[in-house]
Formats: sequence, structure tokens, C-alpha cells
Amino acid sequence: MAVYKRTYHAYNGPLTPHRGRFLVISRYCARQMFESRIFSGAVVFSYLPFLIFAGLIYLLNSPMAQGLLKVQGAPPFAIDNQFFMKFLQGMGYFALILCAYAAPGLVSMDMANNALPLYLSRPLSRIEYVLGKALPVAAVLSAVTWVPGVLLYLMQASMAGGGWGWKHLDIVGAILAGSALWIAFLTLVSLAVSSWVRWRIIATAAIVAFFFVPAAFGTAVTLILRTPWGELLNFPYLNTLIWYRLFGLEAPYWSRFPNVPLPAAWLTFLGLSAMALWMLHERIRAREVVRG
Amino acid sequence: MSAVQRIRSFVLDSPWRLWTRQMLAVVRMELKKSVITRRGLWIYLLAFAPVAIIGLHALDMKLRLAHPGSRVHESLSEDTQVLAGIFQFYYLRMGIFFGCMGIFTWLLRGEYVEKTLHYYLLAPIRRELMVLGKFVAGLLTSTLLFATGVLLSFALMYWGLGGEGEQFVFAGPGLGHLGAYLLVTALACVGYGALFMMLSMLLKNPIVPGIILLGWEGISPVFPQAMQKLSVTFYLKHLTPVAVRAEGLMALFTVVTDPVPKWLAVFGLLALSSFVVFLACLKARTLQVSYHTE
Amino acid sequence: MSDRIQFENVSKFYGEVLGVNNVTLSLPPGITSLVGPNGSGKSTLMNLMAGLIQPTRGQVEVMGFSPRRPEAMFRVIGYCTQYDSFPHSVSGFEFIYGWLRLHGLDRHQCAALTNEALQRVRLTEAAHRPVAGYSKGMRQRIRLAQAISHHPTVLILDEPLNGLDPMARAESIALFQDLGHEGMHVIISSHILEEVDRISDQVVLMSHGYVVAEGDIREVRNEVKDHPIQVLIRCSNPGSLAARVFGQDHVVEARLHEDGGGVLVRTRDADSFYLLLNQIAREGLVDIDAVAPADDDVNSIYQYLIGGGAS
Repeated sequence: MAVYKRTYHAYNGPLTPHRGRFLVISRYCARQMFESRIFSGAVVFSYLPFLIFAGLIYLLNSPMAQGLLKVQGAPPFAIDNQFFMKFLQGMGYFALILCAYAAPGLVSMDMANNALPLYLSRPLSRIEYVLGKALPVAAVLSAVTWVPGVLLYLMQASMAGGGWGWKHLDIVGAILAGSALWIAFLTLVSLAVSSWVRWRIIATAAIVAFFFVPAAFGTAVTLILRTPWGELLNFPYLNTLIWYRLFGLEAPYWSRFPNVPLPAAWLTFLGLSAMALWMLHERIRAREVVRG
Repeated sequence: MSAVQRIRSFVLDSPWRLWTRQMLAVVRMELKKSVITRRGLWIYLLAFAPVAIIGLHALDMKLRLAHPGSRVHESLSEDTQVLAGIFQFYYLRMGIFFGCMGIFTWLLRGEYVEKTLHYYLLAPIRRELMVLGKFVAGLLTSTLLFATGVLLSFALMYWGLGGEGEQFVFAGPGLGHLGAYLLVTALACVGYGALFMMLSMLLKNPIVPGIILLGWEGISPVFPQAMQKLSVTFYLKHLTPVAVRAEGLMALFTVVTDPVPKWLAVFGLLALSSFVVFLACLKARTLQVSYHTE
Repeated sequence: MSDRIQFENVSKFYGEVLGVNNVTLSLPPGITSLVGPNGSGKSTLMNLMAGLIQPTRGQVEVMGFSPRRPEAMFRVIGYCTQYDSFPHSVSGFEFIYGWLRLHGLDRHQCAALTNEALQRVRLTEAAHRPVAGYSKGMRQRIRLAQAISHHPTVLILDEPLNGLDPMARAESIALFQDLGHEGMHVIISSHILEEVDRISDQVVLMSHGYVVAEGDIREVRNEVKDHPIQVLIRCSNPGSLAARVFGQDHVVEARLHEDGGGVLVRTRDADSFYLLLNQIAREGLVDIDAVAPADDDVNSIYQYLIGGGAS
């Protein structure tokens, strides 16, 4: 080619820092999630329990409010570990629904459109791709779990005074650790399922079924074989069991059998997370095996 | 032309033979897609998972019965309760619910996702017939599989109890229980099937509303009876032969409602489902094909 | 029964996006080609004909039938869409046979019609293999076989030549021609006029959702040829260039651009004009900075359609 015809020049301008480049994926994912008005509405709606619990804290700490509502005698509940545990338990289900709505499309749409090779042919590793997809999911789940939990704690600490906050610092730890566990598990499982299913609708169903159907089957095993071990398939139950321990509470019996030992619950979670990571490792590749 | 005349002319002049043939063609095609493929394996798993566990239990019981002095009488009442729990907790709330969610949602939404709906819409068949045919196929699949699952669970549970079990089934209330379980299974498939098919026609991703429906089915007992009538479990609860004792978590899943006559429960559910299927047929008339990646 | 396909003031909007706008057409029997660039509204028009989508405004009728009555309309229509998708794990035979069963025909009739259609597209040998294993051309043919299997009087083909190799293209065109000669009302869409004009009796040219020309193929071609195109030349001395090109027979108009930095030339013979421009550049009369087609209207669309490059 004649020299004067060579008009092409490779880009040699400034580049964004390599470390944060995966955030481009996160930005697009977040935008994609919040494009749905239903999803945005669901996020807002999930703050309803927060408002109710905040109202309860205010009521218990404000003699004026108690007077206005003519509340007499001892309050029917206390603002303690149990209170925050119940809050987190409720928010955990909201997190599950939001995750089931938002996460399935994140990887499955890329699979359906054969977009993975396009992503991975850029200077972007597979880990960065997964991280980029996981970050917005984790952020949304944080916004409905530990963030409102900590806000409630701060509200109670400031209203109760008298060093309540310092005395109950373990509650913050439990909120953060419990939320982190649930968020990590939900995010990993949903991305793993999303990466194995090409269609969003099936991915959503698979995620929901993953949390409810084995739980029902596990309970069936427990009832038929008269053993508590069936509950190892009941993942929301295992999570609650761990949360009870984190909040320093005694877990009530789920059925008429004793609860499964805590290490078994942790091992199940670790095993499932490892499996989810393996699924992601297998599927997030820049090539596709075509069969048939 | 008056409404009566119009109905009369519809009944007398419609090509019922052709419509029956066309609907059967839809049913055949759909059954082939959902029942006789590897893709349908998950429904079998859902329907027969408890059967395997009950089978193990039955074997265990048989072995124990071989030892003299075993207390079969206690086991019979306990196992009857357990079976009722499995039916209400596993089959009704989870297995049939998720099975119908998968089967009936995929009937139409699956055609969108796989970009094959236009083949139906380009055939000389009334769209209402297509919807009805698909619904019947879904119903046959779900009822056949789940009823077989329930039947096997029932049979194995009482087989394990030996002579006492046989006595309960053939000389006691056993067959009545079985009939009621099968009726509730079929009605649950009708109710959930109609709802999920309609949802799949209205929404791109009907699974999330499905979860909300699951939640509604769970919490509806705390609402006034008028609102409870909008849930499928309201009708089914009154048809189950054995009440499940609330125990631990089970308490959360036990529906407590005022007594409703059985005929009302059956016809109430059928009427509600027919209305939903009718709406789905109406919706089908304005169905448009605009495929995109889902 | 009417023998025409009628569109009366038909518009289709997808939300805020225009599909087709205010289309009024009456297509007579014979082979009709819908031609236009990608996104011009050809598929929308075909889907409207078949009732796969409903018009936002206006009315469509095919041989006197409304798409709202598919049970009557699809007895006379066969539509081969451009969706390259098939029901899961179906063989070529099952694909056509199952669809024919939806017509309400009995098993023997369905089998006979299926075999006949397979023979017509020469897929008899591959009939019992899964469609998923077919080549692109075979998949195109099996869809065509399905569309003609019930002996329709109207055959609608959406981009039937897309992705076919030259051999398969020639075969397909011959088949369409045969079907047209047999008296079938064939409507073919394509984005290249040259591809289909040989077999078409009439043509409808589309652009951006509008019908820009319609009628007998010869008339449309003449119109394309006679219609002048407009070119903008950015150069150092526009006045001299205008004076120089205006002397040519094929130049209809030459006027200075509003900003004074170029000349707008309308010519009937683009090829001769570009040769002249090369000559002027060599002579050094003016320094030419840029040459570009100045109109994004019918002319450039025509150029695109007849293979003259992108509009």
C-alpha cells in the first residue's frame, strides 16, 4: 500500500486506569437493572419494612409519641438483637426477590447474544467480567440489607443514648457479617445459574426454584425419614440458623426435630458457593462448544 | 340479531369437527414438546422426588415390621399425617406450583423466547383454539405427572405398613383420601395453570409475579375471606382429606379458613380458572409477534 | 373474493419508532417485489399482511380476508418469514407435517402434502433428519416448503435469498418464477433490486417506512435512470467549477452552496460526472476537498437499491 494512503492510526491517547476498568461493565449492568420501572419500584417498596421498624424505634424511644398514641405499660417488644434479627430476616427475602429479578439477565443475555467473546477479547479478564457483573447486584442487595440495618442501629443508638450503641456493637457486626454472607451467596448462585441458562425467564425460574424447591424437598425428607438432615437442602433455613448464631440468639426448632449443627450449615454454604464458582469458571469463557 | 340468536347460531353453525381436529393437533404437538423430551426431565424430578424418599421409608418400615412387637398402629396415623404434610407442603405449595409455573409459562412465553410463535399464528386456526389446545396439553402433562407422583407416594406409604396399611386403603378411608388427593392435584393444575398461562401472556418475565403469587398463597389466610377467595389454596384446602397439624414452620404454611362446601370449592376454582382462560383467549386475539432476546 | 392485497392508510409504530407510515397500496396478482434498504419497513409490511403485527392505523386485506380472521386467511396464504428458528428437535418432515395438521387435515392428506412440498424444494432425502443439523440453505428451503405445502394462492417471502450461496440463489429464483407462472401471487422482499427485478412483474420501493415508488418494474427502472442525482463538491474555487461543469449535457443544475465553499451539481449521469470531476482535478482548475452525494432522498435510495453503493 502506498504510504500516502495509510491513513489509519492506532489510538495512542490517554487510557483509564486498568484496575477500575471492569467498572464499565458494572455501570452498564446497573443502568440495565434500573431501566426496569418494576425493579426500581421493587427497590423502593423493599424499604417499607425499614420505615415500619424505624417507626417502632421512634415509638419506643419517644415518650411524646407514646403519649400521643396512648401507649401504656411495658412495650410488647424490646429493641435488641431479636429485633434486628427479625428485620434482617425480612429484608433477606426482599433481597432474594430483587436478586431473582435483576441477576438472571446479566450473564444469560450475554450468552444468548454470543457477547462473551466480545467482552473477553478486550483487555478484560474473566474474573473482572464476573466482578463487573456481581458488583451492581451486590450493591443493590447491600442497599436493602446491611445499609438500612446499620441505619436503624444508628437511629436507635442516637435515640436511646446512654452508651447503647457501644454496648450493642455486636449487633452491627452481626448485621454486616450476616448480610455479607447472604449477599455473597445470592450473587454467586444467581450469576452461576444465569451463566448456565441462555434464557432470562428460565434463569429467573431456576434461581427461585433453587431457594424454594430443595427446601420443600428437604422438609419432605425430614418428615418422612424422621431426621433433621433433610433441612440441609433448605438454604433459607440454614442462613437463618447462621444468623441466629451471629446475633447471639438461640435458634428455635424449625420442625419437631433438633436443628442441624451449625458447622453443617456453614459447610453446605461453602460447598454450594464453591460449586457456583466452578459453574462460572466453566461457562465464562471466550469460546463456545457447539453440539449437534 | 339478539344475543340468544347469536349463541344459537354459534352453537349450530360452528365447524366443531374442524375445531376439535385442530385443537387435538395443538395438543399433540405440545405434548411432544413437553413430555417426551429431555427438556421435560425437571418436571419428572419435581413430581417423583418424594416418591423415592417414601419408597426408602416404605422399605425401612417393611424391614421393621418383620420384627415382632412393632407398633404399626402408631405408624399408620403418623404416616397418614406425614403424607398429608407432604401433599400440602411439598406437592401443593411447591411441586405443583413450580411445575405449573414452568409448564404453563413456557407454553406461550417459550414460543416467544425460541422465536417459534409465528408458526402457530400463520396457521389457519383460531387463536382461541391455539390457547385452549396449549392449555389442555399443559393440563394433561402436569396432571398426569403430579397425579402419578401422588398416587405412587400414597401407594408406597401404605404398602410399607403391610396388612394394616392394606386394611386402611381397601377397607377404610384410604381410597377416599386417595381420590381427594388426586382431585386436589388436578384442580391445582387447573388453577395454577390458568394463572400462569395468563401471566405469561401479559408479562415478559412472569416468574417474579409468580413468586409474589407464591407469597400471596402463603399469606392469604391472614386476609378477610373475600380476599382469600382470590387464592387457589383457599379452594383446595377444603378438599384435602387430612388436616395438617400446625407444627414448627408448618404453621406458616397451613391455611386456616372458614369451612366452604366441597361443591363450592370445586366449582369456585373451576369458575375462576375458566374466567382466566377466557381472558387469555381474548388476549390471544391481539397477540403480536415482536421477538427480542429474553 | 378480491384478487388483491390492499393497504389503506396503514401506519405501524413500535412505541416511538416508525415501522411504516401511511401506506396505501393495492397489489395485483403476479410477482411483486418489496425492495428497500434494511430497516425500510419491508418486513413490517409483510408482517402486517400476515397479521403477525397489527396496524396502529389503517386497514389491511389479503384477497378480501382480514388478518383478524386467521382461520380463513391462512388457507390462501403461505408466509415464509425471515426468522431462522424452528421448534425444538423437530425433523424436516415433522416440521411441515405438524403444521399441516393444524389445518385440520387428516394424517394421509398431511403426509401426502408434506412429501409433495419436500419434493418441490428437493429435500426429500434429508426429510427425516433434525432441522437443527440443516445448512442455512436447507433451512431456508424447508421453511419455503412449509409455506407452500398447503397450496396457497398467495406466497409471502421475507428476504428469501439472504445468506444463500449463488447456486442456491439461482435455484430459489427459478422456483419463485415457476410458482409465479403457475398463477400464484408471490410477494418477495429484498434489499437489492437487481436481485429480484428479473422475475418481478411489479415492484414497491420502500425507504424509512414510506413507499417511495411502486408499479410496473420497467417504469420504476426508467424512473430510476432518468432521475438526476445531486452531488456536493467542496473545493477552493466553486465559481470556476460551476462554470466548467455546467457546459455538460448530463448536468441539469449547478449552483453555489450557501456557505460559498462548494458547488451543488444535479446530474443525470453520475458515472460521466465523476469522470469529468477526475479530469478537472487533474487539470488543477480547482483544489477538491470533498465529494459527496447531497441528497438522502429517493435518488440515493435508488442508487443504493440498484447496487450503486450505500445511500
